[in-house]
Parts: sequence; structure tokens; C-alpha cells
Amino acid sequence: MKASTRTTNSRKRKSKEVGTKKRTPALVRTPTSGRDLALPKSEPLPSSGRPVAVISGERGTALEYASICVTGGYDVALWSVHPPVEKKDLPERITASTIPPRSASVALELTNVDQGGKRKNIEHLDRALAPDIAILSSSLTVSASEQASWITGRHRLVGFAGLPTFGNAQVVEVAPTVHTPRQTMQVARVFFRSLGKDVELVQDRVGLVSARIICQLINEAAFALQDDIALPEDIDTAMKLGVSYPHGPLEWADRIGVDNVVAVLSALQREYQEERYRVAPLLRNLALGGTWWRRSAVESSTEGQS
Amino acid sequence: MFKYVGVIGAGTMGAGIAMAIATCKSDVYLYDVNDTVLRRAVERIKSDLKKGVQKGKLTTEESLSIIERIRPKTHLPDLSPSDFIIEAVVEDLRVKRDLLRRVEEVVKHGTIIASNTSSLPITSIAAGVKLPSKVVGMHFFNPAHIMKLVEVIRGDRTSEETIHSTMAFASSLGKTPVIVKDTPGFIVNRVARPFYGEALRIAGENIATYAQIDRICRSVAGFAMGPFELMDLIGIDVNLSVTQSMYDQFSGEPRYRPHPIQKRMVEAGKLGRKTNEGFYTYDEFKKTKVEGSGN
Repeated sequence: MKASTRTTNSRKRKSKEVGTKKRTPALVRTPTSGRDLALPKSEPLPSSGRPVAVISGERGTALEYASICVTGGYDVALWSVHPPVEKKDLPERITASTIPPRSASVALELTNVDQGGKRKNIEHLDRALAPDIAILSSSLTVSASEQASWITGRHRLVGFAGLPTFGNAQVVEVAPTVHTPRQTMQVARVFFRSLGKDVELVQDRVGLVSARIICQLINEAAFALQDDIALPEDIDTAMKLGVSYPHGPLEWADRIGVDNVVAVLSALQREYQEERYRVAPLLRNLALGGTWWRRSAVESSTEGQS
Repeated sequence: MFKYVGVIGAGTMGAGIAMAIATCKSDVYLYDVNDTVLRRAVERIKSDLKKGVQKGKLTTEESLSIIERIRPKTHLPDLSPSDFIIEAVVEDLRVKRDLLRRVEEVVKHGTIIASNTSSLPITSIAAGVKLPSKVVGMHFFNPAHIMKLVEVIRGDRTSEETIHSTMAFASSLGKTPVIVKDTPGFIVNRVARPFYGEALRIAGENIATYAQIDRICRSVAGFAMGPFELMDLIGIDVNLSVTQSMYDQFSGEPRYRPHPIQKRMVEAGKLGRKTNEGFYTYDEFKKTKVEGSGN
């Protein structure tokens, strides 16, 4: 109880500092459990009464998380989603706007590929949102610490693994920066818990854990395909039957998106300056040729080589 | 598909392969130079079949006829009626190469000789025989009578006909064969390397603990086992030797460079479950992970 009061007071203080007098941040009920949630109260979408999660970033991941947040009891405000979403196609409780919403309980930034765009989004969110609103940002291709260095409210940024298609996993990898105070970490924990997820706290390094391993598996499969050692479908079959992988690495690339895979690998190569993270040229060419890996693209690229 | 199949080497892989073949109605000559190893292999097959009967996967009659079809041999010329040969002896190039030369002398002219190898080049194994076009790789996965995958390896001199027959034979055993070029690690051992290598680097940089990485791989990515619990199961020494072999065969390609953590553990005798200590510690009696280890 004491802790809650302290949190509220400190938020009030911070609100005052930046002159957001109208907002009176307070603890709100979680959408799911009804327990006290350390998320500040947002202005809900008209007449809903639910907390709002603002989501920006690449469309696939943004829509995936939007759906998870809605299931978790949030209203979602999409902003700066690329490629843009058609408002008329959005389900109930998800809205899209062209300016960053001023009021939200939490912000999710899910850009992995376009790092210039990511920086703009983070800077915009920092300017637009009250200073006590946490920005939870995918830190697979730029470390959370680097992202925090772009903004004045560096205390509010927490990194996490926002790789497309992994949003529904039971566990989420969360990486605080050196600036992240315990309070912001608590917000991140409570938020992910309200989505039904367990938080695995890891160190802030590009690629984090699962994305680094999976993208390197895909890279090795792409090198193997490029070396023409086997047919693409046989590479996938071998990994599923030989070592029980949940997906063949090439079809996994298809699910995640080759552009995301290349972005993670390129970030690892930038970070470590090591040859081992060199992206297979075939993979890079596929990413440049089109956003998504298609089996037909793989086949045409290896045509006539057998 | 073939009436008689010769299996050479009655270790874990040889016994599993013999069982898979006998289950599919071929007679198997199971050869080993060591009579004790051979007897042990037959006992192991009997015990596996018994378990199968208990689980209702086959009848007692079926299990008896499978055992009857496996004929233990300690004399290599006894394999002469074989229509197809699979060798599964120790992973040593010189041993395999010499064996193939001797086998070629005793079998019918033109009999296909398949080598079950996970790491040696088929082209090198076939170097000493008169008919390298009849030598092919057949990489089974352990346990061979259960695992569906067979990598069929095309050596530089393997003929198309040999590949075709081997694929058909593997399919007749109920396996899913895939054709792969004779390159280090073939498909599985090569593509799987980053699963261990990256995990070791992540742990080495203290980004997450062994137990965390395993949990993340299971819960986020959907792997059946995390890399560290899997290395403990396989044997850290076995895993290191595959990585080292890949690194050497690819002339020092950095993607396959073994990690110092793994080398140190092998030197310390921490080999995984078989020594009750690896990335985790294991209860000697219950054979289960000790709570909190790996962190």
C-alpha cells in the first residue's frame, strides 16, 4: 500500500514538472485480474472505460500485438504503423490515428526493420506522452540502451523481444537499460502479466535470446540452400524430423519475414563485428527483392543449379 | 524390398537399423567382430520389442518373427547373400574405408554399400573401393527404429541409380529420406549448429543463464528441449566433437567455431547426464535435474 502511494506521488510530481496538469495519473484496475495495476490511467476510447495501449511499428507485429492487447482487456490506438492500416479494416476496440495519442496507459514500439523510422517513433512518443508512461520497445535490432539515448525520458524505456509471430508465446524476454528504474520495470512486468505472459529478464543486447538463435538457424539454412546441398523443402523436413524443430528454418523465415530476420542478423553483425553473423547473400537478396520470403522465390533463385 | 540386408556393426545404431529393417520383413545379417557386442545388441532389440508389445504397438507373434529375421554373424563372408549392405561401425575414416574394401570383396558384384555416418565424407569413405558408384551415405537418427528421417548422401561418385534404390529402400522402411550433397554435417548437423553455438555465446556473455535460455527456447520458440538440456542429453563431449569436426572441415569458418565454455566443461569431465553434471547437475539416483541448477 505504501509503495503504491509513493508511486502515485512520484508520478504526480513528474506530471507537474512537464505541466500536464489535466492528467491525474492514478493506479487503475487491470483489465483482466481486477488487481491494482501500476499503469497510469489513460483517457479511454470514447465510452469504453478500458486502459489504452498505443502501438506503433511494422504492420504485422503491430496488428499481432494489437489483437493480444485487446484480448488482454485494452483498447488499442495504432499510430505510425507501416505499411499503414486501413481504418475501415480494423476490428472493434482498435483505432488508428495519424498523430501520436496524448493519452495512453502504455506505449509499444514494434519496429525492427526501419531503424530511422523507429527512432522517429520513439522521439515522437517521448514528446507526446506524459513522462510516467512507459515505452516498451522491441530491442532486437537496436539495443534498448541505444534507443533510450535518443530521448530525454530515457528512464521510461524498456526493451523486449518483439519478433513477429511470437506475440502469443507464454514467455516474453524483457531487457531493461542501464537507465531503467525499478518502477518502469514494474510497469513492464505488470503490463505483460496482464497479457498473461511470464517475464524473463535478460541483459540488453541486440537479438536478445530466441531471435538471435532462430535467426542464426535460418541464416545457416540459407547458407546450406545457397550451397545447394539439398532442396528447400528437404532442409525443412530434415530439421523437423531429425531434431524435432517446431518449424523448418526456411518456412520459419517465411512466417517471421525475411526482412526481420535480415534486420536481426545485420544488427548482430554491427554489434559484434564478427564474420559469424554475416547474412547469407541469398537471404539478403530475398529481403531486398520483396518483404516476405516466398517458397516460389526460393525455388526460382536456385533454379537450374541442381 | 530386399530379401537379405547386411548390417555391419552391432552398436546402438546398428542394432536400431537392424530392428527397423527386420520389422519391414527383410532378413537381416547383423554382423559384428565382437560376439559379446552382438549378443548384447540382440538382447537390446528383444527388450525394445517387448516394450513395443507392452505398449500394444505389435503382437508377441510379430515381435518373435522380427527377432527370427535377425541373424547374428561374426564372420564377414556370411554376409555374401545380402542384396544391400549398411555399415554402422565406429566414426573413423580409416576403419570405414578398410571395411568397405573388405565388404566389396565378399558381397555380390554391384551390391549397394551404404555407410551410416554423421560426420565423415562419403566420397572419402568410398575412396578405396572398386565401385564407388555403389557407395552411398545413409544417415539414420537415434533411435534408428523410431526416428523417421534418413539423410541419403550423394558422394561425388555415387550413381543416380544407387541414389534411387537407396531412396526407395529407405521409404520401404517407413522412413522419410532426403537427398543431400556430400558436405560437412549434411543437413541436420550443419543447420543445427547455431542452436548450440549461439546459446553458448549468449550464456558466455551473461545475457541469460543456461536455465533461462532453455526456458525461452521452449516457451517462446516452441523447441521440445532447450540447447543446454539437449547438450547434456547428447553428451557435451559428443556435441563438441561434432562442432569441432564441422569447424575443421569448413577450414575454420567462424560460424562453427567451438565455444571455450564447452571445451572447458569437457576438460573438467562435466559431460552432461552421463556424468550427472553438465550445464545442470543431476540427481545420481533419480536422474532428474537438481532444482535451481543451470542458473
